[in-house]
Amino acid sequence: MKLKKITALFLSLGMTVSMLAGCGGGAAAPTGGSDTAAVEEDTGAKEDTVEEESDEAASNGEITEFTMFAAMPEAEINDDNEIQQIIAEKTGVKVKETWLTGQTDAEAIGTFIAGGDLPDYINGGDSMMALYDADVLVPWDDYLDKYPNLKEMYSDEEWESFRQEDGHIYWANVFQNTYGESKATTHNDEAFWIQAKVLEWAGYPKIETLDDYFKVLEDYAEENPTLEDGTEVIPYTALCEDWRYFCIENAPEFLDGYPNDGSVIVDVENMKIVDYNTTATAKMYFNKLNEEYAKGIIDPEFATQTYDEYIAKLSTGRVLGMCDQWWDFAYTVNDVFKTTGLDLEGCNYVPLGLVAEAGMEQQWHTYGDTLNNSSGVAITTNCEDVDKAFQFLNDVLDQEIHDLRFWGVEGVDYLIDDDGMYYRTEEMRAKWADTEYQASHECKYSYLPQWLGTSRDGKNAMQPTEQTSEFFDSLAEPLVKCFEAYDVKTYPEMIGSVEKELGPWFPMYSFSNAMTTETPGGVAWTKIGETKHEWLPKVVMAANFESEWESYMEAYNACNPQDFLDEMQEELDRRAGN
Amino acid sequence: MAGKRKNTDVYTPKFTLKEAKKQWVLLVIGAAFTIYGLIFYYAPLVGWIMAFQNYKPKKGFLHSSFVGLEKFKFLFSDDAFIKVIRNTLAMGVLNLVTTFIMAILFAILLNEIKSNLIKKPIQTISYLPHFLSWIIVTGILHDALSSSGIINEILMNLKLIDTPINFFANTAYFWPIVAFANCWKETGWNAIIYLAAITAIDPCLYEAASIDGAGRFSKIWFITLPSIKPTIMILLLMNIGNVLNAGFEVQYLLGNGLIKSVSDTIDIYVLTWGVGNMDYSLGTAAGIFKSVVSIVLIFGANALAKRAGEERLF
Repeated sequence: MKLKKITALFLSLGMTVSMLAGCGGGAAAPTGGSDTAAVEEDTGAKEDTVEEESDEAASNGEITEFTMFAAMPEAEINDDNEIQQIIAEKTGVKVKETWLTGQTDAEAIGTFIAGGDLPDYINGGDSMMALYDADVLVPWDDYLDKYPNLKEMYSDEEWESFRQEDGHIYWANVFQNTYGESKATTHNDEAFWIQAKVLEWAGYPKIETLDDYFKVLEDYAEENPTLEDGTEVIPYTALCEDWRYFCIENAPEFLDGYPNDGSVIVDVENMKIVDYNTTATAKMYFNKLNEEYAKGIIDPEFATQTYDEYIAKLSTGRVLGMCDQWWDFAYTVNDVFKTTGLDLEGCNYVPLGLVAEAGMEQQWHTYGDTLNNSSGVAITTNCEDVDKAFQFLNDVLDQEIHDLRFWGVEGVDYLIDDDGMYYRTEEMRAKWADTEYQASHECKYSYLPQWLGTSRDGKNAMQPTEQTSEFFDSLAEPLVKCFEAYDVKTYPEMIGSVEKELGPWFPMYSFSNAMTTETPGGVAWTKIGETKHEWLPKVVMAANFESEWESYMEAYNACNPQDFLDEMQEELDRRAGN
Repeated sequence: MAGKRKNTDVYTPKFTLKEAKKQWVLLVIGAAFTIYGLIFYYAPLVGWIMAFQNYKPKKGFLHSSFVGLEKFKFLFSDDAFIKVIRNTLAMGVLNLVTTFIMAILFAILLNEIKSNLIKKPIQTISYLPHFLSWIIVTGILHDALSSSGIINEILMNLKLIDTPINFFANTAYFWPIVAFANCWKETGWNAIIYLAAITAIDPCLYEAASIDGAGRFSKIWFITLPSIKPTIMILLLMNIGNVLNAGFEVQYLLGNGLIKSVSDTIDIYVLTWGVGNMDYSLGTAAGIFKSVVSIVLIFGANALAKRAGEERLF
């Protein structure tokens, strides 16, 4: 009887918890009372614009709906999204985007191929080769010349690099393309990040090595063990989930002063591939993490947290530092900081260009564009109107549409001053960062072709994040103070990487990302990934670092890493030879 | 049910034209199901050919090159595969034992409640988790077992531990967590069939036992359990055939890199290598292995049941 009662109690408790959990998700999105008014106002503006420009609408009012899948987890926008509607009326095309949910990109793409139910557009992340192998993509060669905006994305030479073995181009990377002069103000790369308030507390010291970095984190955490509301601070965390485990995995390559080739180091002097997993720096780095873990400086849950949990943690402002790519956290976390006012408390992250030994040069920041030809947007053979699909890829690069995507509606999301410069008021910025507004109003088509750099008007930035005035105006006070203290103006200056000419082989990850298990190198690459996923956290958490490291190296060598390195060397020779 | 089955040993069916004419409706229905089975269960087996090819979606079955048993060789020389077999078997058996025993126990206990006012709600509540999808269940588990979760909080308040336990970082906890999750989700649902079997027991037996002075436990032991034994045996046999389907979602959603070595199952292996790396051939080979082992298990268990003179599937 007692057992049954307890069971029943537990079961009903569980049900209640699950219901509550369900409600929590919806309520988590920040809501603002002023939103409704803003949207109304905005709808009015929309109608005006549409009337003016209705003659531009592509086909007589008929809107074609395309579907798109991007192998990235992002929030879906509402079906009645306002800017999406404006773009549809102007171009005659509306694209329903769906995103990765839970599975990895390879799994999602593999399922698409096996099931045959492909969307019209697909951006397969690192799994484009699989789509190519399955022969489900439309070759671009016959279309490219007809669409000038699209063609303009890359030089002839760059387009050549997208050509696959069968002589056709099937996709184009949508990111990292600078139009005209670069306007980069952010460090859209990897770094060891630290909250501005920690630097302020420490008196803006020079931080060069891992030892300096963790020293500051430790000292700060000792004096400020909790936030104002009593939440314990987490001095350092490292995401280990799936492909995002670069947060723990690839620091050794940067610490040794090399640029982000991703999977290997390229020793430029000897033109040799070097494995950064086994270098002395790698061992030093993991040893340091191990020590800090033992001291309780590293988040005890670092190895088991999911990406969502990680972002949630960062968003509360309790994580003082971590190693990550800017794009992996900043878009979400900075928006939350802005909404919750934590940016004024100095929770924003500042990048530090750490090196293995003080005084070394480093290349954490990549100047110029990185062409990752292993990934991009493609049109599938399921698409019924290929011409129209290409037309739309062309149209989204049109300046007017591009402004709509990234700046929004004039008068509602941004204003233009007398010099023709775009700017936003503080209120507009806050609204633009609001998740609900993002779903109902904004339509960035963020995985379709886009530009960075200078707008075609020669003045503004293609994307507001790069608008110099916007950048400075939206910079929170603690960041301004921090930048002043270090005598820098922007994030790239803050991290202070040296600017070196990168060879034609850069980045090597565009090759390793496209590897399949067809070759021994590809098999080794997959096994290395599996092994590192398991062992890196183990090594960090080990009670006895030395012996654990040895076991790790044993497991690592069992993957035949040399097969992988040999194939990378071959590719390096090929690329360098060109 | 138990009584009637005895007669089947005596009765030997004979197929005659007359009988066939008389039962033509049944034959038509039978034929329809046979065709359904052939199309949906046997025709897809053609795909097994992939396991012996180096299958490329571009080339299809017809033009992919044959590689013999190479994919199987790769499988069995891969330590990771040996590990996933171990994990699948371990979690399968653990799940089988716990959910099986819990369901019977729960059904018997529930049957002992005489008041329908209490019994019905409990039964309904207990099988509701069955309808929750794994993503929700794992979400609850993840929250409850996190270092600031309710379990750690309770343990801390009871002074059983000083620092929160990170349940998902320790390989020792994973199998029990999965077994517990399965138990929580399926006990109520699985108990329904036993409850139904218990209802079918002739009340006279209990009355007679009472007159003979049997108490509650004696009645459970000597009447309830023996009466539902055939049901138990049949379900056990069917579940044994399912041992290798130890799960995919739970392990996939609760696992992480650190405890990969105990959390990955055959299904996850197939997903990583077969679907994730586009090596459909390897995935198929692993799938075949799984099917073959399942068939062996179910035949083995059935043969054992037969030898022991117990109720069996065929």
